[in-house]
Amino acid sequence: MGLNEGRLPGGGVTSRPGGLPLVGAGGPTFLTTKVDFVVNWARRNSLWPMPFGTACCAIEMMAAAASDFDVARFGMERMSFSPRQADVLICAGRVPYKLAPVLRRIWDQMPQPKWCVSMGACASSGGVFDAYSMVQGIDTIVPVDVYVPGCPPRPEALLYGLLMIQEKIREESLARHGEHRAEDPLRAGTPEATEEEVAGLTGPFGNSTRQNRVGGLVRTDRPDRPDDRQP
Amino acid sequence: MTEREPALARDSALDAVEAGPSAVSGAPVRLDEASASHPSVDALRARFGDAVRHHEVSAGDQHVVYVDAARNREILGWLRDDRAAHYDLLADVTAVDFGAGRPLQVVYQLWSMRHRRALRVKCELPLSHLVIDSVEPLWKTADWLEREVYDLFGVKFSGHPDLRRILMPENYAEGHPLRKDFPLRGRFSRAEQTRRALSQDPHDHYIPAELEIGRDPQAAPGAPRQHPEPPAKRPSTNRPLTRGK
Amino acid sequence: MAHRTVEYAVSRSPEMGVTGEPAHAPLFPVDMPEPPLSSEHMLINLGPQHPATHGVLRLVCELDGETVLRVIPHIGYLHSSFEKLGEYRTWNQVVTLTDRMDYLSPLIYNCAYVMAVEKLAGIEVTERCKVFRVILMEMERIFSHLLWLGTTAIDVGAFTPFLYAFQEREKIYKLHEKYTGARITTSATRVGGMMADIPDGWIDELKAFVAEVPRTIDEIDLLLTTNGIHLGRTQNVGMISGEDALNHGLTGPNLRASGVPYDLRKDNPYYDYETYDFDVPIGEHGDCYDRYLVRMEEMRQSVRILLQAIERLPGGAMDVADPHVTLPSKTDCMNDMESMIHHFKLIMEGLKVRAGDCYFPVEGSKGELGMYLVSDGGGKPVRWRIRPPSFVNLSVIAKLAQGHLVSDLIMINASLDIVLGEIDR
Ligand code: SF4
Repeated sequence: MGLNEGRLPGGGVTSRPGGLPLVGAGGPTFLTTKVDFVVNWARRNSLWPMPFGTACCAIEMMAAAASDFDVARFGMERMSFSPRQADVLICAGRVPYKLAPVLRRIWDQMPQPKWCVSMGACASSGGVFDAYSMVQGIDTIVPVDVYVPGCPPRPEALLYGLLMIQEKIREESLARHGEHRAEDPLRAGTPEATEEEVAGLTGPFGNSTRQNRVGGLVRTDRPDRPDDRQP
Repeated sequence: MTEREPALARDSALDAVEAGPSAVSGAPVRLDEASASHPSVDALRARFGDAVRHHEVSAGDQHVVYVDAARNREILGWLRDDRAAHYDLLADVTAVDFGAGRPLQVVYQLWSMRHRRALRVKCELPLSHLVIDSVEPLWKTADWLEREVYDLFGVKFSGHPDLRRILMPENYAEGHPLRKDFPLRGRFSRAEQTRRALSQDPHDHYIPAELEIGRDPQAAPGAPRQHPEPPAKRPSTNRPLTRGK
Repeated sequence: MAHRTVEYAVSRSPEMGVTGEPAHAPLFPVDMPEPPLSSEHMLINLGPQHPATHGVLRLVCELDGETVLRVIPHIGYLHSSFEKLGEYRTWNQVVTLTDRMDYLSPLIYNCAYVMAVEKLAGIEVTERCKVFRVILMEMERIFSHLLWLGTTAIDVGAFTPFLYAFQEREKIYKLHEKYTGARITTSATRVGGMMADIPDGWIDELKAFVAEVPRTIDEIDLLLTTNGIHLGRTQNVGMISGEDALNHGLTGPNLRASGVPYDLRKDNPYYDYETYDFDVPIGEHGDCYDRYLVRMEEMRQSVRILLQAIERLPGGAMDVADPHVTLPSKTDCMNDMESMIHHFKLIMEGLKVRAGDCYFPVEGSKGELGMYLVSDGGGKPVRWRIRPPSFVNLSVIAKLAQGHLVSDLIMINASLDIVLGEIDR
């Protein structure tokens, strides 16, 4: 039985095999739920975002921080440009392969607890840039909690995404700390997705495949088209 | 097409440097009318003879002159310095690959501030020998632009002070992306591209000249640098792309 | 060995230690030779993710103390292969890529691209379209300069101008949105015309904006132009002479700040810019402060052009009436066979552009923005090349920053007004 091995069903650890659960480490009790509530409330309302803005989406992120939308209303006015003091990584914009190690390193530098928002089509899936230099979705590089769709998403959409992070934090419990915060330190600097996952996530789809088919239809004066324009 | 009013004509674009700040007001000037001949091309023909291969007018009124690739620096230098030509702004250096084994074109886009005239100079290079003289000694603009052409097309510019990749990572191994035989999504699989991107050594992000910084200034010039261990010797940190658990 | 004078302020009431002795040794001015300290040069890596580099720019600096000896810029951290992607899209589909390149002034890029295609294809757009594109481009110049102003002010420690500038930008965002449906990625132009005619009330909103923006510019002017901190941070920083600037290929406000009055709107006019009454401001010293002044004045001049363009905006059709170039209306498509076929062919194959090449420069907000297109007569470009103004402008940073302090490097970088999306493409 789990208890005898010092492990609780929720993933918490007891002080000794078969003993009473430590505060905050066992199944939900009156105390832990109250502590959860207080901790989550505090965390939720003082998130420090780390703006990893690269391209057009970053401009919308700036707009979200500026007068009209004012992300400060949700306790996030303190943009933390240093990853070591940040809670939420907002990846806004395109991520080429040249930038991928930087993104991963910033994620590795952020202390737990941490969350990640992928803002925009490019960060989430590569967007229109299904080309040689672009990462096809940052979820192959770092774990992502919330995807904000759009090209670029409106500032309201980013705010909604950040509120979803707050929702997610509300659901968390110290008892399931290990589950929420599972990250193997050995995996620092390595891609988030396995080889098969990358292959599955990044195959050409939608417009990118159609591009080539249209390419086959076009008649030009050129005697022969280069191979890669064929379907 | 009327000539410009003399009051608005500027002998040199740099006159204003001496004149101090002022506001230039309404100067209705148009490009030279499209015509079959271009004064600079005629002058080039007269001076360089056979090195001027071919002259054409494109898009209605844009003059393109094809010159001998072996003499590009000489010809462009003359175009810059000759008073009648005086193309003092090198707007752009780029290349065009037409695919299907056709020669690659290196394109120089010139603009003369004094005469308000544009000229496009092209050199054709066979794909088997993509080497051309750098024009960086003439225009500093060419520094980065030529690096970009080298990066994306693989044209080697001899005489360039610092010819290395500029947009792609230094250790990019898939080739030169803007060539027509380069597939849109790159040569490696996405998984391999991801793995390669993340398995770079931190030292890969620096060029050797940067790693030299920090040496002892007292050391005699040319003395060996006092690095505890040369960066090249570092063990590779390439890790396989599998989950750690 | 250099002598230096070190002056210390002598404290009148020295702090007493527990033993009743002064806690510090008495201080007096000394004049002594500089000690033979061996100093090492430092390698500082700035970026690619740094709030002050305005994007994913990476600067590797060699420092002696705080003095920059050498800057080696690294770019390409946002290389999104625009030019390659353009070869796989029809002429009209490329428009959607252009505004993702310079997201600070998307409409200028939209316009510049289709203007180049029209030049290559020999299409003459309607008068209404011309004037409307002038309106859009001048609006974007203000849009882009405002962002530059806000972010640069932050770099010298002034936060208020950022908020002021963004308030005005929000109005332009609204105008974008009302016309195109998008706030940044406008994709408003089509070869031979625009995506749609001007919506009702749009011009009135524009007029309201044009009436208000000079006030904000004046307010920011008041905050910065004579502000001691701003003057100290920008004057005599990053100076470049006209000759050098030209040799390095600087264009736009950066070149004009060095005193070279090169403005494509005057020198190689398109869209009847020569008939608008406006001035081209030029600087005297070519330092960061002059670049600031030139941009401030350019915004005012853009307002002037906008006022004139609004006045002369004619009625009539927006798109050229050539079924081989512009899409027929939906009603026509549904009702007559010919329009349907034109629609199908334009969508599936794209319009045909005659073979040849074309370089078309316009005065972008950051400098000479040239579009170089090569066509083989087909429905897609063989080569689509952007002459990137900020790419060329940035290449001068190594020269400008030499001998300045690190904090000045930040200011110089900001004053060049770069946008990484277009530098790396
Ligand atoms: S999703 Fe769209 S707006 Fe955002 S970075 Fe990508 S192209 Fe730009």
